[in-house]
Amino acid sequence: MLLAGALAALAAVLAAPLTPSPAHAADPVRLTVGITNEVDSFNPFLGIEAESYEMWALTYDYMITYSMEDMSPEPGLATSWETSEDGLTWTFDIREGVLWSDGQPLTARDIAYTYNRILDGGPESSSWGSYLTSVTKIEAPDDTHVVLTLEKPNAVLPLLPIPIVPEHIWKDITEKEVKSYAAEPTDGQPVVGSGPFRLVEGTAGGSTYRFEKNPDYWQGTSHLDEVVFQVYKSDDPMVQALIKGEIDFADDITPLQVKALEGEDGITALNGDSPGFDEIGFNTGAIDTETGEPIGDGNPALADPKFRHALGYALDLDQIISKVYQGAGLPGDTIIPPAYSTWKWDPPEDEAFSFDLDKAGSLLDDAGYTEGSDGKRTMPDGSPIGTLRLFARSENKKSVDTMDYFKEWLGELGIDAELTTMESNKLTNIILDGEFDAFHWGWYVEPDPDSMLSYMTCDQRGGWSDSWYCNPEYDDLYAQQNGATDDAERQEAVQRMQEILFEDSPYLVTAYNTIGEAYRSDRFACFQPQPDPGGILLFQYGVHNYLNIRPADDAGDCDGNESAQGPEAAGGGAGDDDDGSSTPLLVGGAVLLGAVVLGGGAWAMRRRSTAAYRE
Amino acid sequence: MTDLAAQGADAAHTPATVGRRRSYGRYVLGKVLGSAGSLAFVLVLGFFLFRVLPGDPARTLGRGRFRTEAQLEEFRATYGLDQPLPQQFLTYLKNTFSGDLGVSLRYRVPVSDLILDRLWPTLLLVGIATLLATVIGVYLGVISAWNRGKATDKVTTGTTLTLYSMPEWWLGLLLIAAFAVGMGPLPGIFPTGGLHSVDAEPGTIGYVGDTALHLVLPVLTLVLVYLADFSLIMRSSLLDEIGEDYLTTARAKGLRDVVVRRRHAVRNALLPTTTLIALSIGFVVSGAITVETVFSIPGLGLLATEALTIPDYWVLQGTFLVTSAGVILANLLANLVYGLLDPRVRS
Repeated sequence: MLLAGALAALAAVLAAPLTPSPAHAADPVRLTVGITNEVDSFNPFLGIEAESYEMWALTYDYMITYSMEDMSPEPGLATSWETSEDGLTWTFDIREGVLWSDGQPLTARDIAYTYNRILDGGPESSSWGSYLTSVTKIEAPDDTHVVLTLEKPNAVLPLLPIPIVPEHIWKDITEKEVKSYAAEPTDGQPVVGSGPFRLVEGTAGGSTYRFEKNPDYWQGTSHLDEVVFQVYKSDDPMVQALIKGEIDFADDITPLQVKALEGEDGITALNGDSPGFDEIGFNTGAIDTETGEPIGDGNPALADPKFRHALGYALDLDQIISKVYQGAGLPGDTIIPPAYSTWKWDPPEDEAFSFDLDKAGSLLDDAGYTEGSDGKRTMPDGSPIGTLRLFARSENKKSVDTMDYFKEWLGELGIDAELTTMESNKLTNIILDGEFDAFHWGWYVEPDPDSMLSYMTCDQRGGWSDSWYCNPEYDDLYAQQNGATDDAERQEAVQRMQEILFEDSPYLVTAYNTIGEAYRSDRFACFQPQPDPGGILLFQYGVHNYLNIRPADDAGDCDGNESAQGPEAAGGGAGDDDDGSSTPLLVGGAVLLGAVVLGGGAWAMRRRSTAAYRE
Repeated sequence: MTDLAAQGADAAHTPATVGRRRSYGRYVLGKVLGSAGSLAFVLVLGFFLFRVLPGDPARTLGRGRFRTEAQLEEFRATYGLDQPLPQQFLTYLKNTFSGDLGVSLRYRVPVSDLILDRLWPTLLLVGIATLLATVIGVYLGVISAWNRGKATDKVTTGTTLTLYSMPEWWLGLLLIAAFAVGMGPLPGIFPTGGLHSVDAEPGTIGYVGDTALHLVLPVLTLVLVYLADFSLIMRSSLLDEIGEDYLTTARAKGLRDVVVRRRHAVRNALLPTTTLIALSIGFVVSGAITVETVFSIPGLGLLATEALTIPDYWVLQGTFLVTSAGVILANLLANLVYGLLDPRVRS
């Protein structure tokens, strides 16, 4: 402690000239964002992490962007688009007057070039290929038009979340080089892009990324001069940095931290709805995809949709949300989160899952899984069901806790179960081998439901389908919605697909997730949530908020944006109001530390003295 | 030391010492060959060790991203994961010998660049901490052994042991709360994490000061935890010497207590500590994962730990090779120094 004191004093001397002087008008307006994961690549053809998507969104533009309300397609570089009667030709009108940061004009040719790189295969296609499914040709007949030719209609269009890169820079990067091309600032030159900001400092896997604003951005310049991302490898110090004011925004914090921060002055914290869900998935029948022969040793009871569906009434989702998710989440039902209201299907009220063990029991009885003399349920032929093997991912506490509850509730129904927790990589292998009965995992769902829906098709068995689910009726509907040229027709198919999944229950969707975020509302204002209302504030689809946010002092009415949170923003979404500030805890900890050190010394003294006597 | 220097000076003249020098040469050769063997073993082990890990990098990275089997295949083909294992092994050997450690599957940049980026923060953090812990620890060990049973000894030993038993992350968090955020009368002087501020211009005095300021708390955490390692070893080996006759002789010659301690006792007690120091220096390269995590310092330890979850084979191989080479080299150095310090080791 003496040592610590001495070092602190030394550092105080050291720090004196380094302490930042009070802000004055000439200082740039800088938003510093704390994140918990590194950018994996600034090259938009390579990166995978959510953080990287945010960096590309700041650096580049997209042909289509997303609305704040429900993430439906909105004009980006493309001002309008139309499709031919047969759905095989898409024509996009491209905005004029957009410039790359090196002064060159951005034209339709850059867009066609970017898409063609993906169509030509290589790492570009492994990242983005699925968005150009059934596209055979991409052309820019002039500087203001892009034409996509398809072999069959693709309902996912016009959604194309692909960053547009400058042809005059990327034409020099060969197919072979692109797999390790970093696309980072070189020799102090920022990366060439057209987005609202440009990357001036930062490297993949590094811990600081600095962006300067684009003074001539076509959507209007940002009110921020700089955005800096700072990587924190653990979230407690990040929260401390927010309290201290080293950072202005903390992304991806826990519900408990949100609760604690709600008591801090000048900080707004909330749990924003994030479009993803967690589920309990079942082994509905693993097969060898080459021969069609069954593989693994899944319990036959779980091959029966009626059995799986009955278990849906044995889940107390309210309790899971309050105990496992600390209230920061919503009970789930289908694989499309409520944020995507256009696509979401809601089960009718009298059929929706509710915690009702009697109903679950009688459904099981009706399906032939009656209780034997020992109180355990049996198969319809009277043989024992045996013990269901449940799996949870050890690195995810929600996964383990949810499955723990599930095991208990299965027991109350008269079904034995055992829970194994393991690393997700190992669990992946077990799922692919079909050697499980149920697992807990989750999915992030994109604004277009197509990819999520595809994971439940027969073709994805052995691929991304972890429930081995296969239903020809579902597959027909999948193909139908994927090729639909009429929105209403597609919507109907998508909703019917969710209904089928609800009845067949390869997944029991347990929760829709939230992401905890907090920011210095005494410094910055005008954050608009996405989806609006209830959503997250940064790491959204599109860059709206980087253009919305402004210093709290001159926020005014946020230019009349009513959904944006003004300077005196209301508290967050986590319902609880008790003040769980962490400072007393830490003070207590420090006192305890001191006591332990002194006590340790004293204890050792006494021990040594007795030892000395014995010698 | 004086004896050794005298031997060195004599060596040029007398034939007897020429023989001794040659035997030291043979000793050095043996140790160098042994180390080369260890390195070769590590090279081979590094490849197969990580291939046994469960998991498919394409699937771990591509969940929700590489939607189709074709996309997964494209990724595997791009990074050579579709090659048969013996083929991959040969490529690995060939590349490693030409100084190419491969491309990281997660960051898609050459592993050697990644390791170089991460090496500097690690060396700074763990290097300074090891150095300070060694100096302070050895000093404390000497003090407490010399004052055995007295209050100084009890407080020193008790405190270092208590600190030793503390979890690093907990100690780190407390130091952050106390000295970075500030608590009561304490102002928050130090940054909560990272290695430098955004504003600091590389190459200036301010930059060095800024980095030093960022390093105070993480280094302090490590030093506090490491102290006992050195102080206890030093204490016990000095205690072994304290009863020896030569110390009585030294005192009888009329030497002052401080001189007896410095010139005679400590010098002889340093041998076991040398081993520990050499080993610690070897492990500097492998980083301090917990402290790197708490203080968000982008070091090698974190790089390797995070690569395990993918598994990012080339990063794992690269960091394994570099850290093992560090330990092996430090060991070799320790052996060579030992050979010089203590001729008995050579036989």
